[in-house]
Amino acid sequence: MNCNSHLFANLPAETRLALTRRQLFAHGRNVLGAAALGSLLGGSWSRALGDAAPDRPALPHFPPKAKRVIYLHMVGGPSQMDLYDYKPEMVKMYDKDLPDSVRNGQRLTGMTSGQARFPIAPSKFTFSQAGQCGLWMNTELLPWTAKCVDDMAFIRSMHTDAINHEPAITEMQTGAMVAGRPCIGSWLSYGLGSMNANLPTFVVLVAKPSNSEQVQAISGKLWSAGFLPGEHAGVSFRSAGDPILFIGNSPGVTPGMRRRELDGLKELNEMAYQSVGDPETHTRIQQYEMAFRMQSSVPELTDLTQESARTYELYGEEARKPGSFANSVLMARRLSERGVRFVQIYHNNWDHHSNVGGRMPDQCRDVDQPTHALIQDLKERGMFEDTLVIWGGEFGRTIYSQGGLTHTNYGRDHHPRCFSMWMAGGGAKGGAIYGETDDFSYNVVKDPVHVHDFHATVLNLLGIDHERFTYKAQGLDYKLTGVEPATVVKGLIA
Amino acid sequence: MKSTLPFIGALALALASAVSGAEAPVPAKIEFNRDVRPIFSDKCFFCHGTDKSHRDSGRRLDLPDGPDGAYANKDDVIAIKPGDLAGSDAWARITSDDKDDVMPPPKSHKTLSAAEKNIIQRWIEQGAKYQKHWSFEPPQRAPLPEVKDKAWVRNPIDAFVLAGLEKAGLQPAPEADRRTLARRLALDLTGLPPTPEEVEAFVKDDAPDAYEKLVAMFMARPQWGEHRGRYWLDAARYGDTHGIHIDNYVEMWPYRDWVIAAFNRNLPFDQFTVEQIAGDLLPNPTRDQLIATGFHRCNITTSEGGTIDEENLAMYANDRVTTTSWVWLGLTANCAACHDHKFDPITQKDFYSMAAYFRNTTQPAKDGNVRDTKPVIYLPSAADEKRFAAVPADIAAARTQLGERRPEAGKESAQWLASAKPEQVEISSAAVEVKLPLDEGAGVEVRGESNGSDVDFKSTGPIEWRDGGKFGKAPAFTNGAHFDLGDLAGFDADQPFSAGAWVNVPPDFKGGAIVARMDDRAALQGWELFIEGNKFGAQIAAAKPANALRVVSKSPTVRPGKWQHVLVTYDGSGSSSGFRLFLDGRTQLVVAQGTALKGSARADVPLRIGQRETKSKFEGGQVQDVRVYLRELSTGEARSLPDEHNLRAAFAVAPEKRTPAQKASLLNFYVDNLDGPSIELAFRIEALENEKTAIEERSTVSGIQQDKPGAPMANILMRGAYDKLGDEVTPAGFSALHPTPPDAPKNRLGLADWLVAPNNPLTARVTVNRYWQELFGTGIVRTSEDFGSQGELPSNPELLDWLAVEFRESGWNVKKFFTLLVTSATYRQAATSTPEKQEKDPQNHLLSRGPRFRMDAEMIRDYALAVSGELSLKMGGPGTKPYQPSNIWEVVGLGGARYTQDTGENLYRRTVYDFWKRESPPPNMEAFNAPSRETCTVRRERTDTPIQALVTLDDPQFVEAARRLAQSTLKECGDPSAVIAKMAERVLLRPLSPAETTVLTRTETDIEKQFAADPDGAKAFLSVGDSKADPNLPAPRLAALAIVANQLLNLDETLNK
Repeated sequence: MNCNSHLFANLPAETRLALTRRQLFAHGRNVLGAAALGSLLGGSWSRALGDAAPDRPALPHFPPKAKRVIYLHMVGGPSQMDLYDYKPEMVKMYDKDLPDSVRNGQRLTGMTSGQARFPIAPSKFTFSQAGQCGLWMNTELLPWTAKCVDDMAFIRSMHTDAINHEPAITEMQTGAMVAGRPCIGSWLSYGLGSMNANLPTFVVLVAKPSNSEQVQAISGKLWSAGFLPGEHAGVSFRSAGDPILFIGNSPGVTPGMRRRELDGLKELNEMAYQSVGDPETHTRIQQYEMAFRMQSSVPELTDLTQESARTYELYGEEARKPGSFANSVLMARRLSERGVRFVQIYHNNWDHHSNVGGRMPDQCRDVDQPTHALIQDLKERGMFEDTLVIWGGEFGRTIYSQGGLTHTNYGRDHHPRCFSMWMAGGGAKGGAIYGETDDFSYNVVKDPVHVHDFHATVLNLLGIDHERFTYKAQGLDYKLTGVEPATVVKGLIA
Repeated sequence: MKSTLPFIGALALALASAVSGAEAPVPAKIEFNRDVRPIFSDKCFFCHGTDKSHRDSGRRLDLPDGPDGAYANKDDVIAIKPGDLAGSDAWARITSDDKDDVMPPPKSHKTLSAAEKNIIQRWIEQGAKYQKHWSFEPPQRAPLPEVKDKAWVRNPIDAFVLAGLEKAGLQPAPEADRRTLARRLALDLTGLPPTPEEVEAFVKDDAPDAYEKLVAMFMARPQWGEHRGRYWLDAARYGDTHGIHIDNYVEMWPYRDWVIAAFNRNLPFDQFTVEQIAGDLLPNPTRDQLIATGFHRCNITTSEGGTIDEENLAMYANDRVTTTSWVWLGLTANCAACHDHKFDPITQKDFYSMAAYFRNTTQPAKDGNVRDTKPVIYLPSAADEKRFAAVPADIAAARTQLGERRPEAGKESAQWLASAKPEQVEISSAAVEVKLPLDEGAGVEVRGESNGSDVDFKSTGPIEWRDGGKFGKAPAFTNGAHFDLGDLAGFDADQPFSAGAWVNVPPDFKGGAIVARMDDRAALQGWELFIEGNKFGAQIAAAKPANALRVVSKSPTVRPGKWQHVLVTYDGSGSSSGFRLFLDGRTQLVVAQGTALKGSARADVPLRIGQRETKSKFEGGQVQDVRVYLRELSTGEARSLPDEHNLRAAFAVAPEKRTPAQKASLLNFYVDNLDGPSIELAFRIEALENEKTAIEERSTVSGIQQDKPGAPMANILMRGAYDKLGDEVTPAGFSALHPTPPDAPKNRLGLADWLVAPNNPLTARVTVNRYWQELFGTGIVRTSEDFGSQGELPSNPELLDWLAVEFRESGWNVKKFFTLLVTSATYRQAATSTPEKQEKDPQNHLLSRGPRFRMDAEMIRDYALAVSGELSLKMGGPGTKPYQPSNIWEVVGLGGARYTQDTGENLYRRTVYDFWKRESPPPNMEAFNAPSRETCTVRRERTDTPIQALVTLDDPQFVEAARRLAQSTLKECGDPSAVIAKMAERVLLRPLSPAETTVLTRTETDIEKQFAADPDGAKAFLSVGDSKADPNLPAPRLAALAIVANQLLNLDETLNK
């Protein structure tokens, strides 16, 4: 059995062929034009073509636990000690200076390098234990999330190399701090291909936070295919206007007219093929047909009126508001249901240099109930087992206050040495609490997880050995996980 | 399905060949470069290659000789013993069954196939001869190969190509028909389709040199430079924004226009190189040569607040080495940033030796989010040119006079000081409304002065006093804490006043009120001095009707992390021109953003320091020595105010004990405030400086390169980390290539000379390969960025070398070179394929037919504009902003930038002029693989996706173009069938076949019926785009014809070159 074919197992035969051909021709390998390509070539087509053009790897390497991913990225770097990394000892340390032995030479950003003191700011929020796993967490602001901690695998020992946003978020999404590398969604699109005939493989939604006191910059490179073929770039889904750029017919053009136009186009292109014999012409015909199918399926996808009362009970009324986080998460579920492999959501305003006390409640309100809803909803639809949900930012924050400190308010600077993330579903080990930080949530003291380890683990859940998942570009065999050894974190896997 | 049947046969054949290809017979005579090196490079060099830090057992397989070489006897082990398989340890290891012994080791996840082992075996048996990597050997002209079909050969290119075809048993395709040739030539030489008239003229031209004339005609057009330039701009990573974080506008378009002009004046490629790498270092560089150096100012830069300067500068230099190496040398030097290159002989030292050329730039580590990140060249308008040239001399002259006046003023000041009273040697305290030092250093209570009395104030929350203030510890406003000064400074717009303070703000500061009596609960009411982004400003506002007098500094002047003194004075005139803004005692140019005030501006709220009534908090910023005067300070007072503390101290000291600095302070005060001739000269200098700044502000600028004095050097950065400095290195080219002459200048000029030196084995090859790629779709070396051992081998090495030598010996003549390419029989072949060719030459590597591939993004848009008659041929200038869906920019950066679509002609300019925002390039271009221009691109992807179909079907640019094509043709012809024929002639540049006419006519008839039944639909469709449809034409017919035009623009034939 073709190791790729199970991906298409549930699709009609015609679609399967179209997809295979699409992938085949994606690299401009115009060897063959016949319709029966996929079945003729069988299992080893990607190798059989043998051209030096980069081949699609034979993936997955082993049976995957997750088939798809929904990644909730909290832009700006959420404060771990105010959410999931409980540090009760800090209450006694209020306004005391962070000991140099703890800071241990950690470089500072330009934001606090001029600060005379580094006074400790304990979290002002109420923590208690949640779930069977007994995770200590901020139950004051995350009451909904607290209900599903036993479905989640927590990492409290994440660490990264970058201390400022642009390089850090780029590393989190692409494994490297510099521009030009593919992001994780593009790697998966390239490696695992599409699971549907009508929608993109990798979709990005930029949710609008209800508070926008200090949003951070994000950029198209976060969903760029880097050196991978361009069709693996994320398609940005928009909350206003056409959900996918140019997806709507021009004003006044009915689907019937478009069909008529495309039928004519197909006939004419077929004539061109007859006279020139360029197999690419058939690829083009297929792309126009797929565009038509996309146009037909998107209105149904974005029509939330079909959602039941139960949906809004779960996600909250906020989910009706286009562009909200709740709405984006609901859209992510609908996209996943329809076979989109990777959905990336960005939620901004987590860069709490000041006013943690004032902003954290808004941030948590935006994400808490919808996150719970997503997990419940996936469960109710039987999709939780093979959908990996990821939550986290690009780095953590400092225990010491940036700017003035009171018991109820403080700011926190960027901190690369430790931060918290969680995963749920798709083979992640529910209730796992992995890694530990010191009393100051400043240094990892047990089981560090580097960004590359995290990526290796995500790939593993998708059936990919990160060491063998390479792409040749600019003279190198690039990996998502970079050149230094990276480790799959077994403790996070069910 | 029937139509595809012939290809099922082809498919089976191709399949058979592909499969057998995988186990192709091993050639009888093994060649190291062709057969062995690719295997070693992929499977062995990682551990047994050039990187000494990573070389297992110290053994190299990339070299035969030397102590670590493959032939060397190390502890009685010889890796490769020529001619002796049994004596070759490498062979024993390759064939070992022991998993601890076998090579490559299992942990590398690499294995050797049977065929690969067979090659290695035969190579050793045949004597294991090594060759230097092919691209490091200088190119030589090989003798032209013997071919059977001599008549086919038009120039030497054809001899090389035909020899390959004959060897493979293939025939070249017949020459393409004249219409196809005219279209192909126009597209390749200008990026635009020819007109039907041009095509007809060529078809009818029976002169023997008709083709050559056509080539010359297209090449002479200015569109030639636009088209060639576009490819180069990919390599130069040209864009209109900084690229990282906020991604604001940066002005570099004069560089883009320079590139286009350079191709149009056929600047030889060596000179083109020298001017871009080191134009500023040429003797007496011209304006154009300075603009040319923008090449290495196109790298992406950041101004993110927290970033570390050294890290940024290392990143910029890294990008410049990487780009230089890809573009000129075809080497992936980027690998050597962290360690010696594993596959090619580029050491880490080489990398940083080249980086040294770029490390002594005057460019700042942060771009400031401004359009004119230094160094720049100012390009004033013709009207300004004369004054801009003259003003610096005028300023210098006035400065000299001022200096000459100083001794005299010094004498007079000494006399005056002898009898002056202390209060005369400071800013007059007349009409002081607020004088608040904020130097207490602790607590929440502060003391100030108002109208001669002491007044105490309290902050609204805990204040953090930080060291490093202007005067002792300074307060920082955090978490909303600020000072409430009560009912002070509550005046209206007829009151002259001045307000100032020392301020220091953190990086990434967004702004806030410094001192304000401003009610902001509804519309603004009151006055304030503030920071907005990186500019200072002041305003007086009335809520009813909401309006204001408002000025902000013209250039960004806020310097995070530095104490700056800001002062605004106002003359009570009720006009925005009554404001003057001073920074550290110097006047600043301002922009008026509100120029008239109606209604009262008096505010019924307290005066606050650190915020308005409720918002605009000065969060994270620091303020000291706040002053509010109920009078307009004079220029001299404004100049002296920042120095006032020093003045007071200086005056208190006995004259003979004053330090030189104290003496200078006192003299400055005298000169600025009391010495008539000096005041007059200062006034003149200020006016001249303002004139200069004003001209700079309204001039176009372009980023250039400029070196600091002193010899360039760099440090090796261990593992590429900016803060782990290794050995110091001086500038040099890569050591494995031709030597850098010892007398070469130790600056970028030396680098430029090295790049175009006749003994450089790579530059000419890499360049001709890219040109070849532009015409044929694929380079002779497919990996045009990598001519190293991981790159692909040339499909026709002799041809590549012949072309490289030819190009260099022609004096790097670009037009001559392209003429050579397009006049070859190889280029003139029809693109028609056959099953046999699909089998033997599926990728067209052998060039068994003419080039046919999907056009680049820009060509597709330009094509639609051209055939619709909309295209503007206006050249140059700032980036244009044609149609773009809403909210594309808003989701990136900080969400602040808005895309303001152009109107009129700029909607229809050539795409090479599109404004390129790097974090969010035009989406209709991105869909067709246009790069983001964040990094250098010498080879674009060419993929086909459904999104592309959506663009050319529904993007307003294409829909409007289709309608305009339909409209102009309908007006010309009237009868739909004639219109269709005419439109097709315009788009396809050939007559339609009857079968095609039938399909197109049927589309028109059906759709016209549907539009006739839905007049609103027709109207809606016809209103797409900014131009108006002709209301006198029948809407359903015009709309249906526009759909037919859209259909034509979407044909595979149209989208392909």
